[in-house]
Amino acid sequence: MGFARQGAAGRAVQAVVMAAGIVLGMAPASAQADEIRVLNWQGYGTDEAWAVEAFTDKTGIGVVHEYFNSEQEMLTKLRTNPGAYDVVLINSAYTRQAAGEGLIQPIDADGMAHVADLAEDLGNHPNLVFDGATYGVAWVWGLTAFAIDTQDFAEAPASIEVLWSPEHAGRVGWRDDSVEAVQMSAIATGQDINDPTDWDAIRDRLRALKPQIRLLWSSENEWNQFLAANEFDLATYWSGSAARSAREFGLPVRFVIPEEGAIGWLDGLSIPAGAANVDGAKAFIDWMIDPAFYVPWDNNVGAPASANAKANAQLPEEAFNRAVMGDAGKLANVQIMGPMDEPLRERILALWQETKAYFQE
Amino acid sequence: MAAQSAGGGGRPTVRTLATLLGPAYVWLLLTIFLPLSAMLYFSFLSDVPVGAREAELTLENYAAFFERDFYRSLMLRSFQLGAVVTGLCLLIGFPCAYILAKSIKGRAREALFLLVILPFWTNALVRVFSWTMVLRGNGVLERAVNAVFPEVGPLGLMFTYPAIVVGLVHSYLPYMILTCYVSLQAIDDDVIDAARALGAGWGTILRRLVLPLAAPGMIAGAVLIFVPVIGSFMEPRILGGTQGTFIGTVIEDQFTAVFNWPLGAALSFLMLGFVLALFALAAPAFRRLDG
Amino acid sequence: MSGARRLALLGRAYLALVLLFLYAPVIVMALMSFNRSPFYTLPIRWTTDWYVKLADNDALIAAGLNSLLIAVVTAVLATVLGTAAALAFRRYDFPGKRLLQMLLLPPIAIPWLIVGTAMLVFFFWIGLGRGLHAMLLGHVALALPYVVVVVSARLSAFNPELEEAARVLGAGPWQVLRHVTLPFLAPGLVAAALFAFAVSFDQFVISYFLAVPGVSTLPVEIYTAIRKGFTPEINAISTIVIAVSTLVLVGVARVYRFGSAR
Repeated sequence: MGFARQGAAGRAVQAVVMAAGIVLGMAPASAQADEIRVLNWQGYGTDEAWAVEAFTDKTGIGVVHEYFNSEQEMLTKLRTNPGAYDVVLINSAYTRQAAGEGLIQPIDADGMAHVADLAEDLGNHPNLVFDGATYGVAWVWGLTAFAIDTQDFAEAPASIEVLWSPEHAGRVGWRDDSVEAVQMSAIATGQDINDPTDWDAIRDRLRALKPQIRLLWSSENEWNQFLAANEFDLATYWSGSAARSAREFGLPVRFVIPEEGAIGWLDGLSIPAGAANVDGAKAFIDWMIDPAFYVPWDNNVGAPASANAKANAQLPEEAFNRAVMGDAGKLANVQIMGPMDEPLRERILALWQETKAYFQE
Repeated sequence: MAAQSAGGGGRPTVRTLATLLGPAYVWLLLTIFLPLSAMLYFSFLSDVPVGAREAELTLENYAAFFERDFYRSLMLRSFQLGAVVTGLCLLIGFPCAYILAKSIKGRAREALFLLVILPFWTNALVRVFSWTMVLRGNGVLERAVNAVFPEVGPLGLMFTYPAIVVGLVHSYLPYMILTCYVSLQAIDDDVIDAARALGAGWGTILRRLVLPLAAPGMIAGAVLIFVPVIGSFMEPRILGGTQGTFIGTVIEDQFTAVFNWPLGAALSFLMLGFVLALFALAAPAFRRLDG
Repeated sequence: MSGARRLALLGRAYLALVLLFLYAPVIVMALMSFNRSPFYTLPIRWTTDWYVKLADNDALIAAGLNSLLIAVVTAVLATVLGTAAALAFRRYDFPGKRLLQMLLLPPIAIPWLIVGTAMLVFFFWIGLGRGLHAMLLGHVALALPYVVVVVSARLSAFNPELEEAARVLGAGPWQVLRHVTLPFLAPGLVAAALFAFAVSFDQFVISYFLAVPGVSTLPVEIYTAIRKGFTPEINAISTIVIAVSTLVLVGVARVYRFGSAR
């Protein structure tokens, strides 16, 4: 959809907007030839100062960043600012939607030296490659499960049930995110995270969290602070962030992949429709999947696992992303988050909001 | 909201009115009313009308509010929160403004007045995070209390309803002190002295003289606090834990977690409608206070 | 008069308590900018590293200066526009007055997130685009209602006979405004401008939607830093902001004694 595939009224609006933009000389800011504009979460790899510097030294292309705070915001920014960005990070669960709305364009891998090294199951993942075209280059992937404060556990728990265990009542941290909340419950009840059928079981699981949850977190920063303040024994968390909490900040954190499974997510880099500097964007994306970027990123800062098999293989042997994550195929019980239509998202949100209202009763 | 009866009461020329009101309202029209009208229109649609989505007129978004119990209970909870926070701000802020305006003179008053406003210039998010450092387990407050009274132990204040109230009262208290101060300061000290000389007691002076004259400031402060607190979502989310779900957070989710602007807009306009209805109900009382 | 003195003393003690409440988080914020731990854990281990890091953080400093610029311009514009509107409401009765007053509520009542989204869509539609100019348009609009409410509260205590007297004595409308109305209004105007400044300086959502890449404001930088974790650098810049504001306000207070102006 987007402004390209809408009804007559939409096209009229589009024409007016474009005309007004040209008349006022305020057409959506377009990048110069020697510059690319990147839309991403802040502090998520693409804006590492040393990496941007190395890229600019090599190609002469400057990098300007803009940030978003939620996937919906990212989509809204793409919808309302066509042509303003050259590279966008999209959680692959949203890539089909973005392509369907005409917000991103197919990527031709010609001249991208490192695309051939992508792990087969990630590089060609149906979330990213569909309708005979590649809409996103697999970049990094990771898991959502939970992490423990190693000071509170003699040994790491094996089961996801520990989140519901009375032993840790009032000592659990939980992310305030509807999809994650429902998918964690789907795993606990042995269901497909992308297409759960037994909604009553999920609802019961969520309600059973009432005595367990101490806090609802929404950012990595909060998570680290509350762990440091000993507000919880264990909390839902992301694998890449757990690596960073342990490595960069020296916190007593251990990520647990429960035997019941975990939520997998795959982030891809895409090129928005109407991008002014497609060649620059392709060069930048290729740099992002280059082991020469990824290995120092994971070693020095902490990162999710790379989609580039060669990059992961170059990590130190004890590195979490090599030792535990290995390559995606080995983790049989991991379900990768897939596309979701909006009615389902809305249903999930309503369920989570209702649950939170129940927590307050 | 305060100016109830016109001072001059004269019939103005259209030109005068246009000169005084024109700039402000044209500005608001362009930046608030027209954009919000678009949102109001969206709230009656089944989908956001960008792209191939089939959007049709519907009342579904408004109906959802009445069909789902938890929307109603959260709306009620938000209004309660607004009342509690506004009430506390009034209770704490009015005496503070009174002392500032009537009991302290000269340079000291200026300095204190500035001190009251300054915290207001820090970033709201930084302020809320600072409260988490004060309130949380092993935080500043718990350590301080336990240093004096070791037997108290953990306070468990963080992630509770009171934590949200503390954070919000802190954010909005300067509004009340400021507006009360501005109107209290306009009361002539001689009038109060004269009343005292005539034998009026403190209670009488307060009730008959100070409160009526300060009412516009109190009402202005209450409006400026009550209205935004109802829609607040950041403070509850960060300080409230499982107690931090309100209508504001539900509305925010419609924009950030899903692409459901119509429902988010409908809930906001319902909230606005309830606020206006409440003010309409309270108008007679306001008018009496206004003298 | 020992009773009155005791009362005054009690009043001062109360004021001190309220100030302590208002400043508790500000003091904690400032202390934590000198704490080595990025998670603000106690006890404090002293360092000035965060200030050194801040000095190298050009983006954060540029954002701070943008915020300052927008906030000052917003304070001036909103105070002028809002005061004119408040005068009209106070002085005249006219059809539609209640409605116009009621219309000041939506900008305060509707969560900024929705106003911001609406502005983004609308500004794009009319081809206004994004940038500092768009942010300024939005900030002034949000600050206006505060100015009208605060100035109205002050005006309601105004005795119109004063203006009448001046007019009888032969003063023209501008002279009345300059020599009678505005001096009386001064404390309200200063309070309103401070409000407008604070509203703009803290405004996040509008700036966030209307900023162009590479141009940002302090709140935007702070809010987008949440995901990775904002470091005590943010405490450091906030502490500097508070310190500088204090100096500026003290300077203003020395030149113009607005706290006690009548």
